[in-house]
Amino acid sequence: MIAPSTLQATVRRRIDAGARLAWIFADRVGSEAILCYVIEEGGKLQTLSGPVFESVRSLAVGLPAAAWYEREISERWSVRFENLPPNPPLTTVLPAERLRFVDSSEVSTLLYGPVRSGIVESVRWVVETAGEDFISVYPSMWLKHRGLEARFVNVPIALAPYVAEHVSGASASSHAAAFCRATEMLLGIEASERARAARAVLVEFERIHQHLDSLAKLAEDASLSVGSAQMFAAKERVHRLLCEATGNRFARGSICVGGTRFDVFERLRQTCVRELDGLQKHALSAVDRLVSTQSLMDRLIGTGTIAHDDAAAAGAVGPTARGSGVSCDVRARDGYLFTPLDSREALEGGGDAAARTLVRVAEIRRSFQLVRNALDANPGGPHCTSARPTDGEAVARVESPQGELLYFVRIESGAIARVAVRGASFANWPLFIPSLRGNIFTDFSFIEHSFGALQSEVDR
Amino acid sequence: MSWLEYGLRGGILTTHYPHGDDRMPDAYRGEIEFVESAHQAAAGERIVADVCLSHAIADEGGSARVDSLRCFRCGECTRVAPERFLNRNHFEVARVAESPASVLRALRKRLRSLGRSIHLRHVDAGSDGSEEQELNAIFNPFYDANRLGVFLTASPRHADMLVVTGAVTKPMLEPLQRTFAAMPSPKVVIALGTTACSGGIFRDRPEIVGPVDAVLPVDVWIPGAPPSPLSILHGIWVALGHTLAHGEVGA
Repeated sequence: MIAPSTLQATVRRRIDAGARLAWIFADRVGSEAILCYVIEEGGKLQTLSGPVFESVRSLAVGLPAAAWYEREISERWSVRFENLPPNPPLTTVLPAERLRFVDSSEVSTLLYGPVRSGIVESVRWVVETAGEDFISVYPSMWLKHRGLEARFVNVPIALAPYVAEHVSGASASSHAAAFCRATEMLLGIEASERARAARAVLVEFERIHQHLDSLAKLAEDASLSVGSAQMFAAKERVHRLLCEATGNRFARGSICVGGTRFDVFERLRQTCVRELDGLQKHALSAVDRLVSTQSLMDRLIGTGTIAHDDAAAAGAVGPTARGSGVSCDVRARDGYLFTPLDSREALEGGGDAAARTLVRVAEIRRSFQLVRNALDANPGGPHCTSARPTDGEAVARVESPQGELLYFVRIESGAIARVAVRGASFANWPLFIPSLRGNIFTDFSFIEHSFGALQSEVDR
Repeated sequence: MSWLEYGLRGGILTTHYPHGDDRMPDAYRGEIEFVESAHQAAAGERIVADVCLSHAIADEGGSARVDSLRCFRCGECTRVAPERFLNRNHFEVARVAESPASVLRALRKRLRSLGRSIHLRHVDAGSDGSEEQELNAIFNPFYDANRLGVFLTASPRHADMLVVTGAVTKPMLEPLQRTFAAMPSPKVVIALGTTACSGGIFRDRPEIVGPVDAVLPVDVWIPGAPPSPLSILHGIWVALGHTLAHGEVGA
């Protein structure tokens, strides 16, 4: 605990000295609210926390990465931040008549969402436009807020990974792995190499199917029907492989605290012997063909550009950051999941939708390699390690398909007292709005799908 | 080689279901079944209290029943008490309203009046994001719902069938009701996924208004977390009156 008068100044000093602000979240100890700042220094995560008295200094001025965390905390925890730039609320839905921010008869306001064409998650964008160009765009989120962080409280630890899988069903393995890793850290145990290899394979397959989903939607936006169908077909084959190995098409119910719920590694190994070669050949030939289709790439080049420094300052993660040349691969730094790295992180310099797409294609190729490395290593050990309940708290992270995913877990008197989740999609959304600048209306869906965000892990 | 040629070289991937058979892998957790055994004990109670996060296991005094609409198929009970809870890999899990035969007939007549092709409108009322991807998957080359005359539509004005995913959150209540109201009659409502069917693990959360049937007249429930694309095809087929729902006795 750091005294409230110096907490924000300490965080600011560490960041000025080269640390990265990864996350800010709130917790409550007794009746007192506390703020926790998670920073990354020299590849390691550190948490600085302290109580809140009346108001705290905002870090958002000069540090855009802090803005959305502070907005969420100020709206949902009633913490007052001094100097926090005024904005329409992020986490409550304003009535339509209050959704006009620019006062000009030339400007029309469009409410885009929450019910939109196609099969998409609910989110509302308030778009102010004078024809083709974006004047300003405001997010209106938390439409899907299901109270997940509160749902964890007092759930038996053995069952809590199922709750984590509900935060985002499409990236369920990453969420379960991050929750379990945090819990294992505070319990003082480590899953066996075999269990960690199984988790790594699940997370890499998840990356492959989520990246294929994003590529398929981009192909669809460009009216490339066969290309889109081939992406979706390859994605389907990943789900079939996972279903055969784990009993669920998104591999839910596989990961538990201490390891995996059954010998998932063996099941994956047996299934992959039959299925992996065919799947890999299909997926790689289709994605290579996609990024050499000029009609699609023409639409993506120069669309939704984010400069390297903007991505770094806003705290972007995953393919969104790597498309702008920002190195941020948790797998390379944490060494927690069993992923012997044989190739370098996929980085692109363009910063546009095309660069993010190329990063995804390179990552699909790399994920197949990581799956093979883990399966070939065939490490030993029990599929699950048991632990005695202890109290404590920990922050852990996993490189989910969308990027760095963070979980905080605190256990008190043997029961879960607080879980906080920072989905990768949450870290990337603030960049979506500036990336629209200079683009026109028809670019919206291309830019949106190049972010590949999952709204369920944002709203929680 | 053009995309068209590339696609053709891949051959036909599409299932014959529902006109022919298809199956899920043996391991697939389609539905959990309670097995009566010779040694009935108090174990059922312990299972109800400890193991089921969505309270899907109803203790009926020595026996038990698994509520398919509440079960999110984690498989925990089958691992804790494998002699009592059996995993079934069937995917035809859709339920229609427990109504008298006359109501069912009326429903089917209403649906037949829609003609051969139907148009879906989807609303996400608070899902975990995987149900959307599985609903999208029914249009991929493996399932190709278009061959059955099932299409997506952007406008609720052109929609015959409303597919709702997720337990209904407070902010999504109004958009959901407005979408339903904008659809012409006759119209069908499908609750897709365990949370949409029953609220699942969110049933008692204050952020949730309730399952879809708490706010709209649901015709077909398709449980699963998420339901597989075959389950979704089956549910749509049931709604159209072609196939019997799970447990429904033919007249």
